[in-house]
Amino acid sequence: MAAETGKDNDIREYADLTPIMKPSGVAIIGASRNPDKVGHVIMQNYIDVGYSGRLYPVNLNDEGNIMGFKAYSSISAIKRPVDLAVIAIPAKGVPKALEECGKAKVKGAIVVSGGFAEIGERQLQEELVEISRKYRMPVMGPNCLGVMDMRSRVDTLFLPTFKIDKPGIGGVSFASQSGAVGSSVLDMIAQEGFGIASFISYGNAAVVDEVDILDYLMRDKHTKVIVFYMEGVKRGKEFIEVARKVTKIKPVVIMKGGITEEGAKAASSHTASMAGSHEAYEAVFRQFGFTEAEGIGDMLNFAKILDTQPGTTGKRIAIITNGGGTGVLATDALYKNGLEIARLSKGSEAVLKKAMPPIVNVRMPLDMAGDADDVRFDKAISTISSDPNVDALMVIALFQTPGADSRVAAKLISYNAAAAKPMVVVSPGGSYTEVHKKMMESSGVPVYESPEDAARSLRALIDYYTYRGYNGKKNR
Amino acid sequence: MEDVMALMDYMEASGLVARYGIHATRGAYVNSAEEAVGFAGKKAVALKVISEEAMHKTKSGMILLGLSGTEQITEGYQTLSEKAKRLGNYKMLVQEMAGSGIEIIIGGKIDQQFGKLILLGLGGIYVETFRDFATRVCPITERDARQMLYQLRSRAVIAPDEKTERVVTGLLMKASKLFYENDISELDLNPLIIYEGNYEAVDIRVLEDKK
Repeated sequence: MAAETGKDNDIREYADLTPIMKPSGVAIIGASRNPDKVGHVIMQNYIDVGYSGRLYPVNLNDEGNIMGFKAYSSISAIKRPVDLAVIAIPAKGVPKALEECGKAKVKGAIVVSGGFAEIGERQLQEELVEISRKYRMPVMGPNCLGVMDMRSRVDTLFLPTFKIDKPGIGGVSFASQSGAVGSSVLDMIAQEGFGIASFISYGNAAVVDEVDILDYLMRDKHTKVIVFYMEGVKRGKEFIEVARKVTKIKPVVIMKGGITEEGAKAASSHTASMAGSHEAYEAVFRQFGFTEAEGIGDMLNFAKILDTQPGTTGKRIAIITNGGGTGVLATDALYKNGLEIARLSKGSEAVLKKAMPPIVNVRMPLDMAGDADDVRFDKAISTISSDPNVDALMVIALFQTPGADSRVAAKLISYNAAAAKPMVVVSPGGSYTEVHKKMMESSGVPVYESPEDAARSLRALIDYYTYRGYNGKKNR
Repeated sequence: MEDVMALMDYMEASGLVARYGIHATRGAYVNSAEEAVGFAGKKAVALKVISEEAMHKTKSGMILLGLSGTEQITEGYQTLSEKAKRLGNYKMLVQEMAGSGIEIIIGGKIDQQFGKLILLGLGGIYVETFRDFATRVCPITERDARQMLYQLRSRAVIAPDEKTERVVTGLLMKASKLFYENDISELDLNPLIIYEGNYEAVDIRVLEDKK
């Protein structure tokens, strides 16, 4: 083991990803009329999402017109400023194309082509690194999907739009080393109802790596929450430097692939990422306040609470439910996750006793009974949320019950909009529930399928704000 | 660049940790059974063969514990000397016997990616059974030290009260500083015995980085 690794890392500046994420002119190298080519799909996507900057298809063999845009035989033939070049041609031709980009003063490039270090072609990949250095031009990839920016409307994903749902505009930015995890999670986020600011699939990380991306997303004013899937980092020391800063500004939900020995082997043949022991990664994540996700479910669950809810460091959770059994499960879920049931103040108890029908036993968890309607939900939530003994709320809204309908969902939405304390909603169920879940989520209410998911997510939120030394001031 | 790692001399290592405020169990090198008896006085002692080849002393049988009186110590000295012959270079260390308590491990090692790490774990015979460890990147803050302790399942066993808690977190901070500031590639305080709000560093292993 190289003992001096820590000191002699190749320290360089962070690559500026602005020209890649928010370019005003984009060249697609490998653009094609042939719908089977990746370059065609990328062009189509740019057209579909309505990219507002200039688009320049580049194709060696086609100087006419590609998909309604004037085509160029080379990047140097464009004669106008190009911020970003997206390169989608076979690996062998990439160094030459990249060199031409450098000469033409292109500000950044994305190499979506595979066929580099991930299949053992390290030398070919090294050529890209050298060209990037020579022209001080950040290069993302190779072997990646590239980026999506919801505001600049850059979209280099070569996945046909009918095959993947794309999320709406929001505050979550999602970076993924793996294109496969990236695109499938993106598809899932679209179902979750929270929007994204940007998506970055960075593949082999030959030049632009985790450190650059974290640094960029930390500074990006549209990003409120960062979600990161990685299989390893390339520059440990610099990663720590950025990690120290970023979590003080915004939460980072992180999932690392390759935590088992066999998993790590799969990861290294996959994207040729650098090793480092799992315990060291775990140490870094804990030490610098990352929110560690143990699976894709966690990733989505944590992202939506951190994106939508105010912070708290308190662990006293009030449970309000329209079903007794789910309230019991929720209580268990809280304690399993190191949280506790809030004890209501005498004042709140008195108010609730008056407001609730006699069949309701006023204690925690508050079981409002199956006939609880929007009026009862409203009374309970408004009383309990202002109780000083309560730090956060878990509201269980079972839409199967006779009392619960769209008016309950509407109440939860209106409470959430003005809430000073975090609230999570638990609504397990089928198609009727699904409709209400969508209503609530699209209005920024985090809805979970089980009390366990809700409790884990609350815990993640509390841990994050505890790390940050949250002082009760509303931060957004 | 090739690194040369060498085991730091035991007494030197114990001086190094002392400079960072970690007290090792009183000990000395001896060249004869008489010297060992003289060191012990009326106390019980441990005899240890110190050599590069005998790093795992208990496993290699190069350690004898709880010897007292001229007869026991002399006999122990002779037994160990006989065994140690095949090792070539070695030294004989005599140490006062430590009190009994909970054994913990504080260690430092270098990760390929993130550099120097500090580690805290439950020691003793349960090391392999429970594998109860917490790790952080050096240097650590007081909060990190506390969180490391609280991350352990055995926290209540190791530090049942606040005083012991402060002892353990204090040790962690000192060990982290030591490891961070010196050109060493491995640090092993194993075991550290924790008892009644106090501790003793019974064994110290330091691998130096000699470039």
